Amino acid sequence: MADLDFESAYRKPGNTLFASVLGDDPFDFWVGPFYVGFFGAVSITCIALGIAVLFIAVGQYGDWDLWRAVIPSPDRSVGLGFAGFLHGGAWQAVVILATGAFVSWGLREVDICRKLQMGFHVPAMFSLAISAWVILQILRPLLMGCWCEGFDLSFTGHLTWVSNTGFRYMNFYDNPFHAYAVMGFFLTAMVLAMHGSAILGTYNTDKDPNVEMRREDSFWRDYVGYSIGEYGIHRLGFYLAVYTLVMSDLCILTSGTLVQDWVDFWHPF
Amino acid sequence: MATILPHPMEPIEEAEDSKFDHIDPLGIRLGTATRLDFLRIFMVDTQIGTIWLGTWGVISAMLFVAGLGVFILGGLDQVGDSPWLLVKYFGNVSMAPPDGLGLAHSMRGGGYWQMITTFWAGSVLFWGVRCWERLMRHKWRPFLLFAWLSAIFLTACIWVFHPIIVGSWAEAPALGLNGDLQWAQNFSVLWGNLYYNPWHQLAIFFLLGSCMLWGMHGATILATASESSHHEDAEIKNLTSGSQKAALFWKWTMGFNAFPKSIHDWLWWFSVGVVLASGIGILSTGLVTNDWYVWGVDHGTVKQYGPLTRSAINQWPRPMPPLPAPGGYVPAPGN
Repeated sequence: MADLDFESAYRKPGNTLFASVLGDDPFDFWVGPFYVGFFGAVSITCIALGIAVLFIAVGQYGDWDLWRAVIPSPDRSVGLGFAGFLHGGAWQAVVILATGAFVSWGLREVDICRKLQMGFHVPAMFSLAISAWVILQILRPLLMGCWCEGFDLSFTGHLTWVSNTGFRYMNFYDNPFHAYAVMGFFLTAMVLAMHGSAILGTYNTDKDPNVEMRREDSFWRDYVGYSIGEYGIHRLGFYLAVYTLVMSDLCILTSGTLVQDWVDFWHPF
Repeated sequence: MATILPHPMEPIEEAEDSKFDHIDPLGIRLGTATRLDFLRIFMVDTQIGTIWLGTWGVISAMLFVAGLGVFILGGLDQVGDSPWLLVKYFGNVSMAPPDGLGLAHSMRGGGYWQMITTFWAGSVLFWGVRCWERLMRHKWRPFLLFAWLSAIFLTACIWVFHPIIVGSWAEAPALGLNGDLQWAQNFSVLWGNLYYNPWHQLAIFFLLGSCMLWGMHGATILATASESSHHEDAEIKNLTSGSQKAALFWKWTMGFNAFPKSIHDWLWWFSVGVVLASGIGILSTGLVTNDWYVWGVDHGTVKQYGPLTRSAINQWPRPMPPLPAPGGYVPAPGN
């Protein structure tokens, strides 16, 4: 990591969430490049415990291959109860610890935003990403009445889950929220390419930065009739990502709870 | 935090003509530049227009409209020449490709598909020429052109290269909203589940990564824009407090950070990686294996869930499934 010579001006103790409630944060320090903080300590504890459970379980199951190794979700007979360690209990432990790690990681981002006196857009976006995990692994299994609805923790194992879930509701491509989410993913990729090309294509070619900005604006007006502007493009990208995540959430939340058959879903239309 | 409105109350920015522009006989800028003030509630630039016409753009637009016209004719053909039914079933009309690699024998038996595909292929290629011409005029480095060509590479793999490799245009998607979705589903099933195709896995990694990067980059810039981190060209030359905070946020969060220039390298390569990995995944389907699940089991990436069916594995070319009767989808009367 490149040394940032301005960093010492910003590395100041205090102003954390934990300190504002209890007066003092015992973890208000940095380790190497990382800020720790109370929520960092919680997060790293959850991560360490989760990885430990993961390794113990994978060792018990016996397949160490990085692609195939799997922590399976509980059997259907378990319902919403506790499962034995090798029959879904490891999965339950990892899901709880991972959720704890994600949430405290987000709160640690809030702490860092407070220290740097910047907006809270990144933790807000991160919490939306956590919502996808929570819906897939906790909320939808609760609504469906079985932890077995969560996906296996595995590289190709979770792909098998995705494939099976698609066919279980007949054809996931007929799920309108799935279509809107896929559209959002492709739009984010396209707008990302346009923004990256605009910056990489124009930076540092003129002495005057205002000239560069005018060159960007006049190109986009020539090319598509509109230039959204150097601030507006980040608004657009941010809200495209929000839109995509919300649609992904709705896509899986409605499947099996409200709709059993996405092909039949279109019949009234 | 300060509120940032782009270009508040600034005069219209008229495009400046260069001698480059006068070479083109159709080189005119359409319309009058105006401001739509309501766009300010979205906090985006309010100036609309003008748009450059240009010979290449005119050719591209004409080919697109020609393809759209053939699509509408084919759609009317499928719904009994009723404009109202075409509107009603617009999502379901689809122009299916013909079997084999020759010219279709009839319009209904793949002729519509071949005409529309040809027109629209020409349209995106001439749009690429227009992109290149405008990039040169505005003295941009041609990153946008390479991104556009990468996208064309993926569509060419799907609509042209893969059908030629396996010997039938019928492998390509039917044209139409639902036809697209059905192709995506059928293609995966036909080739033994595309989720186990490693290039498909890499493409989805880039695709979801693109969404994640927009979340990260967009949020970072919005959170520090009150200290002008959104003037990215200027920040590349001189890191001011907004970009310093943006860099420190990620260094403190994950031990690593990008800078105003390098973040856009990440953005560009992730978005281009989507289409490059997808294209390679399509090309390798049929060349590397006929069944990605069997390939995954053979290469140890997938748990074997049951006995393997290897009947079609070593046949070349791959036997094609029987095709539906030409004519495409015809909705039942009164449905």
